[in-house]
Amino acid sequence: MSTVSMEPLLYRSVRESVRYAPISRTFKPSSWSCSTNHKLVFHARSFCNFRSSNVHALRASTTTDTDIFETLESTDVFFKETFPLKRKETVEGKIFIRLDQGQNNGNWQLTVGCNLPGKWILHWGISRAEDGGSEWDQPPDEMRPGGSIPIKDYAIETPLKKSLSSEGDALHEVKINLIPKSAIAAINFVLKDEETGAWYQHRGRDFKVPVADYLLDDGNLVAAKRSFRVWPGALGPLSNLLIKAEVSRANGSESSNESREAEQKSRSLEGFYEEQPIAKQVAFDNSVTVSVRKCPETAKNLLYVETDLPGDVFIHWGVCRDDAKTWEIPDAPHPPETVSFRDKALQTRLQPKEKGDGCSGLFTIEEGLQGFLFVLKLDKGTWLKCMENDFYIPLSRSSSLLAKSRQDLPESAQIPEKNAKAKDPESAQIPEKNAKAKDPESAQIPEKNAKANEEASLSAFTNGIINDIRSLVTDISSEKTRKNKSKEAQESILQEIEKLAAEAYRIFRSSIPTFTEEAVVEFEKKPKSPVKISSGTGTGFEILCQGFNWESHKSGKWYLELKKRASELASIGFTVIWLPPPTESISPEGYMPRDLYNLNSRYGNVDELKEIVKIFHEVGIKTLGDTVLNHRCAHYQNHNGIWNIYGGLLNWDDRAVVADDPHFQGRGNKSSGDNFHAAPNIDHSQDFVRKDLREWLRWLRKEIGYDGWRLDFVRGFWGGYVKDYLEASEPFFAVGEYWDSLNYTYGEMDHNQDGHRQRIIDWINATNGTAGAFDVTTKGILHSALERCEYWRLSDHKGKPPGVVGWWPSRAVTFIENHDTGSTQGHWRFPGGKEMQGYAYILTHPGTPTVFYDHIFSHYRSEIAALISLRNRNEIHCRSTVQITKAERDVYAAIVDEKVAVKIGPGHYEPPSGSQRWSLAVEGKDYKVWETSQ
Amino acid sequence: MEVSVIGCSQAKIGKTELAYRELGCFDPKGVSKAFSAKSRVCFSPSTRWRKAGIRFTLRAVQSEAVRSEKVAASSRISRSRDGVRLFVGLPLDSVSDCNTVNHARAIAAGLKALKLLGVEGVELPVWWGIVEKEAMGKYEWSGYLALAKMVQDAGLKLHVSLSFHASKRPKIPLPEWVSRIGESNPNIFFTDRAGQHYKECLSLAVDDLPVLDGRTPIQVYHEFCESFKSSFSPFMGSTLTGISMGLGPDGELRYPSHHMLTKSKQIPGVGEFQCYDKNMLGILKQHAEATGNPLWGLGGPHDVPTYDQSPNSNNFFRDNGGSWDSLYGDFFLSWYSNQLISHGNLLLSLAASTFSESAATVCGKIPLMHSWYKTRSHPSELTAGYYNTTTRDGYEVVAEMFARNSCKMILPGMDLSDEHQSRASLSSPELLLADIKKACRKHGVEVCGQNSSASMAPGGFQQIKKNLLGENIVDLFSYQRMGAYFFSPEHFPSFTQFVRSLNQPELHSDDLPEEEEETAHSLNVSSEASVHMQAV
Repeated sequence: MSTVSMEPLLYRSVRESVRYAPISRTFKPSSWSCSTNHKLVFHARSFCNFRSSNVHALRASTTTDTDIFETLESTDVFFKETFPLKRKETVEGKIFIRLDQGQNNGNWQLTVGCNLPGKWILHWGISRAEDGGSEWDQPPDEMRPGGSIPIKDYAIETPLKKSLSSEGDALHEVKINLIPKSAIAAINFVLKDEETGAWYQHRGRDFKVPVADYLLDDGNLVAAKRSFRVWPGALGPLSNLLIKAEVSRANGSESSNESREAEQKSRSLEGFYEEQPIAKQVAFDNSVTVSVRKCPETAKNLLYVETDLPGDVFIHWGVCRDDAKTWEIPDAPHPPETVSFRDKALQTRLQPKEKGDGCSGLFTIEEGLQGFLFVLKLDKGTWLKCMENDFYIPLSRSSSLLAKSRQDLPESAQIPEKNAKAKDPESAQIPEKNAKAKDPESAQIPEKNAKANEEASLSAFTNGIINDIRSLVTDISSEKTRKNKSKEAQESILQEIEKLAAEAYRIFRSSIPTFTEEAVVEFEKKPKSPVKISSGTGTGFEILCQGFNWESHKSGKWYLELKKRASELASIGFTVIWLPPPTESISPEGYMPRDLYNLNSRYGNVDELKEIVKIFHEVGIKTLGDTVLNHRCAHYQNHNGIWNIYGGLLNWDDRAVVADDPHFQGRGNKSSGDNFHAAPNIDHSQDFVRKDLREWLRWLRKEIGYDGWRLDFVRGFWGGYVKDYLEASEPFFAVGEYWDSLNYTYGEMDHNQDGHRQRIIDWINATNGTAGAFDVTTKGILHSALERCEYWRLSDHKGKPPGVVGWWPSRAVTFIENHDTGSTQGHWRFPGGKEMQGYAYILTHPGTPTVFYDHIFSHYRSEIAALISLRNRNEIHCRSTVQITKAERDVYAAIVDEKVAVKIGPGHYEPPSGSQRWSLAVEGKDYKVWETSQ
Repeated sequence: MEVSVIGCSQAKIGKTELAYRELGCFDPKGVSKAFSAKSRVCFSPSTRWRKAGIRFTLRAVQSEAVRSEKVAASSRISRSRDGVRLFVGLPLDSVSDCNTVNHARAIAAGLKALKLLGVEGVELPVWWGIVEKEAMGKYEWSGYLALAKMVQDAGLKLHVSLSFHASKRPKIPLPEWVSRIGESNPNIFFTDRAGQHYKECLSLAVDDLPVLDGRTPIQVYHEFCESFKSSFSPFMGSTLTGISMGLGPDGELRYPSHHMLTKSKQIPGVGEFQCYDKNMLGILKQHAEATGNPLWGLGGPHDVPTYDQSPNSNNFFRDNGGSWDSLYGDFFLSWYSNQLISHGNLLLSLAASTFSESAATVCGKIPLMHSWYKTRSHPSELTAGYYNTTTRDGYEVVAEMFARNSCKMILPGMDLSDEHQSRASLSSPELLLADIKKACRKHGVEVCGQNSSASMAPGGFQQIKKNLLGENIVDLFSYQRMGAYFFSPEHFPSFTQFVRSLNQPELHSDDLPEEEEETAHSLNVSSEASVHMQAV
């Protein structure tokens, strides 16, 4: 964004300060002579009304500059310049939380730290045992580390201190000593980066470190929840300690989970340690120095480029013969590691320096060329340019003489330097749009006043500039006129105009891409940030189509029918299609599979299946196989007449069936989840079962070409097994169906469905995030909201979406209908006639939306297509940020990624007319979607 | 203007800063001091002075008493010696419908940039539908006043366009209460042959009918103008130097004859006559009866093409033997265009009398209906209400009407050149522009230029320059319009280039180093070259 637009004056500043010799500034009562400077008088007049305030702006240049200047004079280097390189980069790091026994006689100590640079502040409080562990409170004085500041009466802010980790890396951390007697139930905190004003939370909520057992489990504990599996004994010791100290507080009602935990506790007496990844935009200041020397022997120019940029640095370079600065490839020889780049430029990797960071390169340039042009490229595809242009180094002596003649000017104000001063805080102030959480898991809250600062500094800055320009002209006019000077003045004014225009431009089109993306180089398509694909999210930009309904098996040739729709579906904008269950099945719909390796189903035979997968691949749509892993119908009866003996390639016996369903008399272990009672549930704890299933999935991937999975009834077994299967089959995308009932009180759906979504989140968590899950919660809440006109339900008590999508958007696969809920079954049908409101919601919100086949090929088709193309056009993805702007009885409205606004419900809403310009993009019954123009 | 250049108040310099003492300026009329005290605007001394310089010219042009008084009040800023004062339009939606300034920071930065660039001022559309949004007589000027303050602080002039129409993009509707009235009485809108209403502005037929809750639109416009005048009195004449009166669709004096055109079509059709609302038909009927041809008053011509069609697809506009060239044609077209002109006259005289004291120039905008200009009948102009054909000059009477009201004429399309028009549309913006300019020159009407397209037409800047520098009838140009595109890297540099070339046509020679010795170079040239810097 702004980084680039800042460059011009920064760039100048360096140039100028070298160029001018230092002379203290005095006004000479010059005899003004009419013959020489009408023009300048004119300038002066025009400036004379600007109020002058800062005479100190006109400072003599620093001695270092002079030194450089002199050294340059004394060598045969006829050009040397240092260009600042500013760039922003997303760095990944971690927040870690450690609870251990400190050195001082066994007191427990909580350490919170972060390994990214920044001005980190821990914003924290405690919840006391008495009030159920939910409220924030200030800790007792003795717990507060030095430097803590109380915030109102409920929190403390403690700055993190710099220290070194055991590996010697710099990190920031704060240690809090726990006082055993203080009856503290938990420590709550968020981490704040004062530099960027960003808040770092834990899955969108406060971090919560429980320090006593009787804490209500609200699903947001950092460690307790998973501790019995992942971090054995996470909080065990402390809890025990506290229990001993305050036996009276012990609470008898422990869930089975907790008792398992307790078992673990006794085994381990260590604290816990957890890390959470975070990403942050960090500004880096580097520079590149270019010097040009004439080689006395060959009369060639030797050009030396040196930079302190870390890592691999490539220089794209060329030469030009005239002022048009047209790139040309110079004649060989070229430096080592040089390749020609599309016949327009050369790309050379700079050689790392012997010692220290940075790298350099030496280029020999023939005589007779006008200039040397280059841009720098970092290994990550970031292009660094000079004021949005190529770096330009003049090569001929004449141009350098010109430059020198300018340097001879006896007096000049050091305005550019002032500019740079004014600018530095400015550039630091402008928060990158991208500084917003890349990853919603570490949702950051941008601080409001950062904007205000920006504004203030902008106007202060421009006023400063105007003063400076005025002073410059004053100066010039008070001196003997030189043409060059007026040109200098013009140039700097033009630059100022450019800068202001760039600023205005930036705001007018507020959705402008960032620096890296903007730095489009003429010989390469704009580098897209590499898309990270994970099976939980795909690329993050997926839009699913459920490619069948409950009736699709009836024709017996569904694959053939669907095949014809492939290009149509692709043109609508779908990226993934969910195909029906492919295996031989007891029920025609395919959800009662028997022989997993027999892929002739009522939807078509195996060849037709392969064909349709191929065709979808041709149109660019990935395919999901619907796999039923929870249960499998048997081929044969056992000696009791119970159907639990399998045939086919996977000829399992009753050990493959879970033991806790009396209907099927399995001899396996107890089920790790809920049972599906219509068929034998598979015991995934059996190694041979898992091995067979892994192989089967791999076979499906290879043989059929499926790209991923829709996993049926994953409530039936532990998510950890799913993780196992997914790691083995490496799908592009996977989504599980974890469907259980929402929370109701007296027949009325609760507003708070945190329990429901937590169960889904837990499952995703168990898969280690390798799979997403259908966001049943969102569907349920949409039902109530739309059906009963209770749109307020669409915001949870923290102002976020109330479904899974509010907590873990990247793993939430949103939908409003599927073959079970709707179609001809209608187990839980979406409110009739309001489907488009549902789609307006899920297709504009984060998460990965799914559109049901019946809806695509209905009268909703064009509206759905419009919403999908809007989603794609605005690059809404599964991690997009959503800001709910209205959640009232009859209307819900939200702004997504600051570029799409949506309202559903009959009530009125218009997006705010702030810096963005909204235009209505899609409209239908009781919904409207806007996007920012441009 | 032959006058010498250095016009800076010695007295002021002495007061403000010692540093300027050696500048050796003189104060031509002794006015600078007086003005500089009250004005925060940087250049008021010089501009005032330049105003004074042009006074005679203006008198010569404007002979009417009421007008010359205004001129004497030094309301007018003459063009600087090298021609044209440049304005830039602010975004259409600069003020939101809840009366806040949209993209205030962008506009602030933009204003500074324009100021540095040497632009004289900005044009600001003031929307009826925003100011008088809720109820008749309930005005809300706060957003516009805030913006005017920003403009003043930036040291720029302000030219306000009172817009009594609605805008499609960005969506700015008519006042809610007007739309409500329109719902129940669609006859207040222009209507075409098919009965489709054009709901972006009121039909000129209701100008004097009490259709707005018992008041006539003219009364409502008048009260609006009065309210504007009193609200903006602090800016009047200092910052606020021009007011353009909205005259119809898109603010232009015309019928909405082309509103149903499909945008994608390469060649615009001829448009349709818009005389089918109840009141228009009534007037037509009366007129026909009064002129003894009652049968001609039953409706518009029956043999016209539809919006998208070309002139020859029906009989009316045919080059040879088309009904336009008949007695009936003349009857209808005269009536149709006279309605428009008297509507324009009504509004402009209203504006002129309302703002006569206020030291701001009043303008009105007419369209440049340039397609089909090369046919004999000029159908696009006819449907828009300009009875201008190869056999009849339709702009003479329009210019005369502007002159009568001492109003400036805003002419769009200065960026359009014939060579970039589609051949098949038989269009000629340049010839039409010349026609209109000629009429204006004849009646002493000053012209304020505008470009037509949001994104610059190919060769647009050159064409504008050609229009501005060639002759002296255009002394002000209002460039449309600030926004993301305006400041984009694709556009802004060329705009900068354009401004510089306008203001300092000899800059490039200035670049040549050998000129350095040329100290005896004429005063005029160097001053010219400095105009740009001066504005900075």
